[in-house]
Amino acid sequence: MSQRKSYAVGTGLFIVLGFAALAYLATQTSSVANRQQGDSYTVDAQFQNIGQLKERAPVKIAGVRVGQVQSIALEPGKAVADVKLSIDKRYDTIPTDSVATVYTSGLLGDQYVGIEYGHAKKYVANGGKLALTRSSEPLEEMLGKFFGAGGAADAIGGTYKVFARFSNVGTLSAGSPVKMAGVPIGRVVSVQAEPDKLDALVTLAIDNRYNQIPDDSAAAVFTSGLIGSQYVAIQPGGSPDMLKNGDEMILTQSAMQLEDLIGKFLVNGSGSGDGKQGAGASTSPAGKH
Amino acid sequence: MNARIERDNIVTQSLGQIGACGLFLLQILAATPRSLRRHVRETVRQLWFVGAMSLTIIMVCGLFVGMVLALQLYHVLSIFGGTAATGTVVAISIYRELGPVITALLFAGRAGTAITAEIGLMRATDQIAAMELMAVDPLAYVAAPRFLAGLIALPLLCCVFSALGIFGGHLVGVTWLGIDNGTFWSNMTATVDVWQDIISGVVWKSLAFGAVVALIAVFQGYTAPPTSEGVAYATTRTVVASSIAILALDFVLTAFLM
Repeated sequence: MSQRKSYAVGTGLFIVLGFAALAYLATQTSSVANRQQGDSYTVDAQFQNIGQLKERAPVKIAGVRVGQVQSIALEPGKAVADVKLSIDKRYDTIPTDSVATVYTSGLLGDQYVGIEYGHAKKYVANGGKLALTRSSEPLEEMLGKFFGAGGAADAIGGTYKVFARFSNVGTLSAGSPVKMAGVPIGRVVSVQAEPDKLDALVTLAIDNRYNQIPDDSAAAVFTSGLIGSQYVAIQPGGSPDMLKNGDEMILTQSAMQLEDLIGKFLVNGSGSGDGKQGAGASTSPAGKH
Repeated sequence: MNARIERDNIVTQSLGQIGACGLFLLQILAATPRSLRRHVRETVRQLWFVGAMSLTIIMVCGLFVGMVLALQLYHVLSIFGGTAATGTVVAISIYRELGPVITALLFAGRAGTAITAEIGLMRATDQIAAMELMAVDPLAYVAAPRFLAGLIALPLLCCVFSALGIFGGHLVGVTWLGIDNGTFWSNMTATVDVWQDIISGVVWKSLAFGAVVALIAVFQGYTAPPTSEGVAYATTRTVVASSIAILALDFVLTAFLM
């Protein structure tokens, strides 16, 4: 009898353990989960755009994790994301004029909230608010703002032809768009190697509507986005004479490798050491609320 | 049931086995209410043998599967700078595939063989015939409790396996390789869906596998030739047939549940 009882107790324990495991899986590792953490206090921050920021994403100061994102909600009546940050009690000396920024770890990594200390003598209290925030900038937008890219090709009617020489066209090919100020104004007709000059002769067909392009404008081979296709961007010059059919553009900038782009981008942008901070600095400054 | 299909070609033999197995399932299901009324203790005892006694192997295997998954994924994902997705991929692959399948394979090896050998020996030593003489229905006393125990035990074991797998993944990913703890969990909870992954993956799949493994084990034992060679052969067939059935059924179920 006692042996039977031990079976029953053991089996009961087994069943309880199984269901406990199921409950753990269902509540702690799936989308209904809401994990608790140690002693913390809550701070509000409002962002114009949080990008891919998720609940429970880390909050970092100087790269050190100090808490996590507690909740993300849309501010009622405004196109503003209200993000509640749950920060460890140990880090309770954050100046009230600190700046909260949505950062991306690495190029393709996850997003997190970074806080940079301000200089105020007062510290943010529980339920307080970080008024200075900087929103997440999609990578394409950042690169686009920096290099003047973006947009797609267009179907065009009458065109005139212009030539440009590049020392390196990258992966530019016939059919690639030609853009000015990000707007497609034509397409590449042909890309040919010039054996005598050791460069590439690119023929551009530009829409007749856009015949007011100064003849000292520069042509550059850019990449749309990170792994997008390449296109020719025209940066207008200041000459009173306009480009005509059969003209050659003298000022050109060749295609850059992705590594070069990112290198330049990071070096140009970073005023204060951190590469990611540079990304923010090249875009609009803190949004005020 | 004992009528063996002798010296027939393999197709007829396999079809005969499958048909007999299906009929046997119906007999077990018919005997289940009787079994639960009179021999519920026996079901609990079998649940102890096939379920609770399998916990150790399930937990250890779950832990190591989770650990090795995290280790492999971390190194592959680091190529793309996507190590933050380690937890997500560990969780999803365990919930959807590895948890139910490995648990079922281990269960077939650990508990299925024991069931087949036990029932086969019961028949070889005429215990089943004796039960019939004593007016004890062997289907209700021997077959149904083991089938039910397998059906109940496997989903529970699979939950334990998955939980230990996640724990192992966390151990390697966060403690050892240094993925951020919050990122690990937040990515996991953001991607794993209770119904899609946990209910239809862990619960439904392992229920189906539990039914299949338990049925094959009981059937092979019940129809084993009453010789030592016959029991040995039946035990081997339990493992082979269960493994094939689990993996084939896994594909079919995945196609349906996705």
